Amino acid sequence: MRIDQSHRGWALVSLAIFAVAATVYAIDTLNAPQGPRGGSTVGLLFGTIGFGFMIFAALLGARKRVPTWRLGRAQAWMRGHLWLGLLALPMILFHGGFHFGGTLTRLLMCLLIITVVSGVFGAALQHYIPRIMTSDVPLETIYDEIGHVRTLLREEADRVMDAVCGNLGFAKSSMEETQRAGGFTALRPITSTAVPLRTSAAVSAGASAAVAAAPERILLSKEQSAPLRSFYVCDMRPFLEHSKKAGRRLGDPASSSSAFAGLRTLLPATAHSTLSDLEDICDEARQLARQETLHRWLHGWLLLHIPVSLALILLGAVHAVMALRY
Amino acid sequence: MARTRTTKKLAQRIDLNYFKRPTPLSRAKFWLSLLLPLLALLWIGWRDLSGDHRVYSSGRLSQAHAVLDKECSACHVQKAGVFSAKAADSACLTCHDGPTHHPSQVPAPDCATCHTEHRGRINLSAVSDQTCAGCHGNLRASYPDSSYDAQIATLAQGHPEFAALRSVAGVPPSDPAKIKLNHAIHMKPIRRGPNGTLVSLECGNCHRPMAADADLTYSDVTYRAATVSYKDSDEFLPIRSESPRRPKPITGRELMAPLRFANACAACHLLSFDKRFDEGVPHDKPEVVHAFLIKKFQQYISAHPGEVRVQRDPGRDLSGKPLPPQVRVLTPSQWVAERTAEAEELLWRKTCRQCHSLTAPQSIGLPQVANANVRTQWMPHARFDHDTHRGFSCESCHPKALTSTESSDMLLPGISTCKICHAPGPGHADSRCSECHTYHDWSKRKEVTPKFTLPALHTSGR
Repeated sequence: MRIDQSHRGWALVSLAIFAVAATVYAIDTLNAPQGPRGGSTVGLLFGTIGFGFMIFAALLGARKRVPTWRLGRAQAWMRGHLWLGLLALPMILFHGGFHFGGTLTRLLMCLLIITVVSGVFGAALQHYIPRIMTSDVPLETIYDEIGHVRTLLREEADRVMDAVCGNLGFAKSSMEETQRAGGFTALRPITSTAVPLRTSAAVSAGASAAVAAAPERILLSKEQSAPLRSFYVCDMRPFLEHSKKAGRRLGDPASSSSAFAGLRTLLPATAHSTLSDLEDICDEARQLARQETLHRWLHGWLLLHIPVSLALILLGAVHAVMALRY
Repeated sequence: MARTRTTKKLAQRIDLNYFKRPTPLSRAKFWLSLLLPLLALLWIGWRDLSGDHRVYSSGRLSQAHAVLDKECSACHVQKAGVFSAKAADSACLTCHDGPTHHPSQVPAPDCATCHTEHRGRINLSAVSDQTCAGCHGNLRASYPDSSYDAQIATLAQGHPEFAALRSVAGVPPSDPAKIKLNHAIHMKPIRRGPNGTLVSLECGNCHRPMAADADLTYSDVTYRAATVSYKDSDEFLPIRSESPRRPKPITGRELMAPLRFANACAACHLLSFDKRFDEGVPHDKPEVVHAFLIKKFQQYISAHPGEVRVQRDPGRDLSGKPLPPQVRVLTPSQWVAERTAEAEELLWRKTCRQCHSLTAPQSIGLPQVANANVRTQWMPHARFDHDTHRGFSCESCHPKALTSTESSDMLLPGISTCKICHAPGPGHADSRCSECHTYHDWSKRKEVTPKFTLPALHTSGR
């Protein structure tokens, strides 16, 4: 969720709540002989409010499980989650008088700080990364299917290579005959002159859908195809298999472009369209890798935020019950 | 042919059931969300089952109570299986007596009102100023007849000047001591005895903390070894008994030891009484001195019987013309009486009077020496520790000592001197009330009956 003008109301209300709370805390501190205490009336009030904010923030997860229920707009819930969750930290600090207390309360403070800091970090990532994703990954696909799409791209590349260089001996999946990785369809005859819609390179460049008709593939002799085979076996296929592995020159757009440009000088002009296809496949694979990286940044912090916040709620409830007993 | 991408084909490559398969990320999220709270619950359960309730403590106990960290029930009384939220006074009084501040004080606050536990390894007796200001901030509200200053919030706010330095009914403060001491002369180069060399005294040559060894540079072995007939009450003013006493045994280095003639004066102030003797008279009451003189002269005349022939003085008349020798022959008792009278004339009129106030000799012939009235404690309602201030030179707090010529001069520094260092905020020494004052009147303490046994304290019970 982007932090924009739509948050203004929430931000102002949160600021007002914080200002009131800080004033009450300052007055209480000045009047309490031994300083602010969590067990005092004011301290308990801050604790209750802070814990209430935490509960509300945690309910966002439950709210997402029942999207069809009429419980207010999801965006309002998210904004509330952001701002009230953030306010929970000062409320709890006021509750404890900036003392971390005993074992349980110290643990709770650590959990709260981790939760809030990871939440703020996550909110910042959610604010910036979608824009980066839009610009860097125009061929974005569903994250869960990236592995599958990458397999399809590799198989499509194998097919292209087989068509130009002869059988290279790479295993083919059972789906290969019926499905390609979003490139040209197997159902369409190779010799057909179907008008291609959009190539990945064209999309990257922001070009329109219209692309010139593609020529047929021509099988190259062994000598002619040697550089291409060598490139494919040594560079491209390992890249398609493990595109995230560091050190692959095809992982870098400039290096990749340079590699393909070099190949074009070594291969006859009839193979250049094949090279363009392969370059296109590399580009898409690179974008998928980028998408994976950005997706991990975008959602990886939740691995910390959610479990810690759940532990916080659980232990916070234990603390509330036990603190009233002791 | 070149690759083509259609929306349809892009859609075809997506498995429509993809959302039913958990991704590694969602799997990790699920398991972590399950395991971490479960782990937290197990941890709490384990601590609870093992009987260690420290986990619920709101903070570590103070240093003095650290051994009770696991003993929640020592302070929190358990009723029907539930611990009380606050420590009861009865729990504190099990180990500590807490004498009241003033007999008229009503109601006395709970122990926990001032001594707040679970604040870490703090000094529990160092209470906040606000607890004191609860009453002393507006004392008249609770005690209209109180003679103390009514509005004291902190050292910086409302604390009056020390009582010893305040004028009473227009009479300026003065030191009640009757010893005549000119500090200014002693702080300049001064001759060590009638025929001694010039020496420069330092404060420490005379003034030392009680527990410290005395500086014996200007002491005299004979006087140090001698027993005296006068008592401390003849020398020092009593400490006022109505003030709350300190709970802890004093180290003996807080206050300066009162000066003793034998330790600090005897090397220079010789109590000579006759040229026939090298020694001086005892530093004692006139009766003792008188007896000493008689004894000394009797012993002397016994050893020197020829000295009963006394040549009359002067040897010349008023015009300077030499007179014929005129010798008187005295009996030994006459001789002793004359010599004693001469020596006492010297002592009562000059030697003793140099420092002491003496009344005129009574009919029996001996004067009365006024009590020294040396005050050993100037602030009966507060404590001051010279030892903690040992890094500072004496004259930085007692500058008047360098120029004082009268023993009645007040050399006690004012509260403004204290406030130079003791002030609120960082970069200053602590300025809390408890730094100088104590609340409980420990002179009224009662003994408590021990409750704990060592093995039980280290396990789980009493």
